[in-house]
Amino acid sequence: MERHYIQVCDVEKYYGQGTAAAKAVDRVSFRVDRGEFVGVMGASGSGKTTLLNMLSTIDSVTAGHIYYENVDITELSENKLSEFRKENLGFVFQEYNLLDTLTIEENILLALSLHQREKREVLSRCREMLDLLGIADIRDKFPYQVSGGQKQRCACARALVNRPKLLLADEPTGALDSRSAQTLLETFTDMNGKLKATIFMVTHDAFSASYCGRILFLKDGQIFHELRRGRKSRREFLNEILDVLSLTGGELSDAQ
Amino acid sequence: MLSKLALRNVMRSARDYLVYFLTMMLVTAIMFAFHSLLFSREIQQLFEMAVIFAVLVGLATFFVVLIVAWLINYMVRFILEKRSREFGIYLLIGMKKKEISRLYMRESLLLGAAAFAGGLALGILLQQILLAILYSMIMMEYRPRLEWSMGCLITTAACYGGCYLLALLRCRGKFRKMNIHALMSSQKQNEEIRESHEQAKRWLLPLSCLFLLAFALFLFFFKAWDGAVILGFLLGLVLTIYVFYTGVAAWVICYIRRKGSWIFKGQNLFLLRQFSSKLKTLRFTLGTLTSLFVLALLGCAIALMFNDYQNQTLLDKWPFDVMVFSSDTSDTFREELDLLNRECSVEESLIYDIRQNGTDTVNAWLYAHLKTFGGAYTDEDGGLDREALGRDEIWAYYEHDTYLALSDYNRLREMAGLLPVELEEGEYLLHLKERVWDETGDFTGELEIVVESDSGETRATADPVSGEAEVTAESHSGEQRTMAEPHSEETEVMANPVSGITEHPTYLRSAGVYTEPLSQDGHNGADYLLIVTDRTAERMEPYYRLLTVNLDGPAPDDLLRKLDALPSEDSIMDLGGHRENTDMACGTDNIVVYVVTNIVRDNLIPEVKFMLSSIIFALVYIGLVFVCVALTVLSVQQLSDSAKYRFRYQVLHQIGLGQREISKVILKQLAGFYLCPILFAALISGTISMYLGWKFNVHTGTHTAAAGYFGLAFLLFLCVYAVYFVVTYVGFLRNVLAKDCR
Repeated sequence: MERHYIQVCDVEKYYGQGTAAAKAVDRVSFRVDRGEFVGVMGASGSGKTTLLNMLSTIDSVTAGHIYYENVDITELSENKLSEFRKENLGFVFQEYNLLDTLTIEENILLALSLHQREKREVLSRCREMLDLLGIADIRDKFPYQVSGGQKQRCACARALVNRPKLLLADEPTGALDSRSAQTLLETFTDMNGKLKATIFMVTHDAFSASYCGRILFLKDGQIFHELRRGRKSRREFLNEILDVLSLTGGELSDAQ
Repeated sequence: MLSKLALRNVMRSARDYLVYFLTMMLVTAIMFAFHSLLFSREIQQLFEMAVIFAVLVGLATFFVVLIVAWLINYMVRFILEKRSREFGIYLLIGMKKKEISRLYMRESLLLGAAAFAGGLALGILLQQILLAILYSMIMMEYRPRLEWSMGCLITTAACYGGCYLLALLRCRGKFRKMNIHALMSSQKQNEEIRESHEQAKRWLLPLSCLFLLAFALFLFFFKAWDGAVILGFLLGLVLTIYVFYTGVAAWVICYIRRKGSWIFKGQNLFLLRQFSSKLKTLRFTLGTLTSLFVLALLGCAIALMFNDYQNQTLLDKWPFDVMVFSSDTSDTFREELDLLNRECSVEESLIYDIRQNGTDTVNAWLYAHLKTFGGAYTDEDGGLDREALGRDEIWAYYEHDTYLALSDYNRLREMAGLLPVELEEGEYLLHLKERVWDETGDFTGELEIVVESDSGETRATADPVSGEAEVTAESHSGEQRTMAEPHSEETEVMANPVSGITEHPTYLRSAGVYTEPLSQDGHNGADYLLIVTDRTAERMEPYYRLLTVNLDGPAPDDLLRKLDALPSEDSIMDLGGHRENTDMACGTDNIVVYVVTNIVRDNLIPEVKFMLSSIIFALVYIGLVFVCVALTVLSVQQLSDSAKYRFRYQVLHQIGLGQREISKVILKQLAGFYLCPILFAALISGTISMYLGWKFNVHTGTHTAAAGYFGLAFLLFLCVYAVYFVVTYVGFLRNVLAKDCR
């Protein structure tokens, strides 16, 4: 069998127990190849963040398997999971999740320091990232002193600085103005193109989703539709997404 | 509805601020227990000195109330700040400021009342422990019983309630000034880190270290302490404590900015930033906590000094069962002996005279050389400045040197369980307090002990006796110190300009120094006695007369009171209910000096132990409360920020730290935050304790290494510290890890 970069096989997630148990993700299976930019869309409560959390190892599956190349992360112990997370994953969240006691540069340095790298390498990689994301001039500022877009670019730099196998983004443009959102998404596309970063992004915004190469539509914990950009322009792809959304009145209920 | 809300909020506060709640309980318990000692009828009946205990514990209570008031004020404002968003919402939904203020007051009072009630129950247990400790310290039997008095309850409630009301009244003002926007955004403001002039501020660290070094050097080597110098140094010390943290925070920030190698190792960058931001925002609080730790450690160390003194030297202070002083040298002590024979069984007794020959050579030497006089009576040549001495009213020594005949001395030695000594004609012995000996060593080589000889004897003594007279005296306890070289001028017949002995002066040579305990606080001389042969002594004037008695069995509890009650023409009753004689000198002991005519050892030791215990208890009381208060603030600061920390550790978890690693980071973070003030306080109080311990040893004759007092205090202190640390660590871990870092 051909091994894909990431394989999600019949993953289920329940919250609560007995009769009070609620199904958040229901037998979801899909594959992600190296260098793909995959988006997940769905209404509130559709299970998209739960899916991302399981993929990012910060939540466990109730049933099913998730393979990163040959490694089944659902079988790993807590310590190995942390190690795996450190080595393979990068995160970007809606609320930035920057450490408020550290400056922009230090937030990136910390992620590098955890990998026990040499000081010279740490500094050069950090400088490279700061330049790449255009935040070198605010490197000494604290998160509260910069704009949301800059914070998110910092989070992005922190996520990518260790060259992870997968970048996980949870509503990364949710708290940004449209201009900042556009800049960030262009950054994602750049990273995807230049660094060959594999990106898995959860969003409910069609504009953001139009930057992806493939979109999975989630409803009630199940994947019910998939769109591929292929050779289409971003505008065409956006229209396609909007078509799916308009068919469902924005609720994605009857898109099929 | 509001009552229900208040009750629910109290339950939540008690849970969220458990350490604060428990500390308030503990403080109530400690207050109640100490106050119950104040109001204990049995203690009042036992000792006339109970008033000293009351004064000391009362004084300690004053400081305790001050600090508890600070804690309550701090906590009430702290909780208010933390809940500002909640109060903003109350305002938003239409509650009036007055209602919110009343709600918060009601909550605080409920929380305080619950802690008070719990504290009283705990206080009863603590009271029993304290009473048992006190009774064992004063060597009396303790039968467990409940000490309960309304006075004690009212005092404790008044102290506690007063602190609470004061803090709450101050808070009312805050409520008046509130507006919704400020309340809703106040928590966000806390998170902002402002860094400015850090390069300049970091110099505060070496500057404060330099000041501390200068302080330590001055403490040990500077002699001319006066009010202004002490005040200047104290102000400097307080200022140093406060600026130290600004310096440390700035230094850490500069180190991070400089990208020092250490920040690239593991989570050090995170830890250092956490540490510096906490120091920056809490520098004033940490300064106050350090001051409290310093005071607590010092209090504890001083308490240990007194305890050590109690254990080491008190038993040696009075080697005889009963001693009676009389300035009437023809006194037969008939009434005293009758009383003693009536009240108890006398094993042996001795009536003897202390004599003088108009000289004051030893007195002059001691006034000029002992550290206790601080050089106040030393002239430029190192001799006695008689003019300076004449200006002050000094009671340390008798007007003339005090002599005792060898036969009486040997009889006394026998009564004290020591072997007799021998003395040749023309020789003298010096019997010195061990404490003084420790300071001076053998100084008989510097003395010219001159006595008046009769014509026949002068020749005999004036013979060129071999310059190396043998020491013939031997001590049973090996206490004989050294032999001084016999005075080279001993055979010369010449006038002594100081003594006034002009007829037939004879210089005696030293046959050694003895230092066994001999009751030398005015009875057997003040600090010293010169022992001369009986023939030499006979030519001297009787100075005062002593009765020394050993009893068969312990003395009855009221023997001293009965002795003091006997009529006496030369003494008066002092404030402590003892008989004192204004002719008596007292020597240079400092901590415990009983310049009383009548001494009954078995009656005085419990009394002294009670007084010393009062000091120890008061200091421990203050120390304990200060430590608990300071640790509560540290603990609450950390635990209440756990929401913020939870987020930070969640981020660390996301970027790859496992639960075990996060636990380690938390441990390091808490340890750094907890250790910083205690280590800094230990440095300051350690230095001061070393100095005090050294001085204490000089003045009391105890032999414990100065660092020992501090070491033990620090160890005791760390035990309390460890309890708070563990409670905080466990609570912190639970708050941070339980919900998010799965």
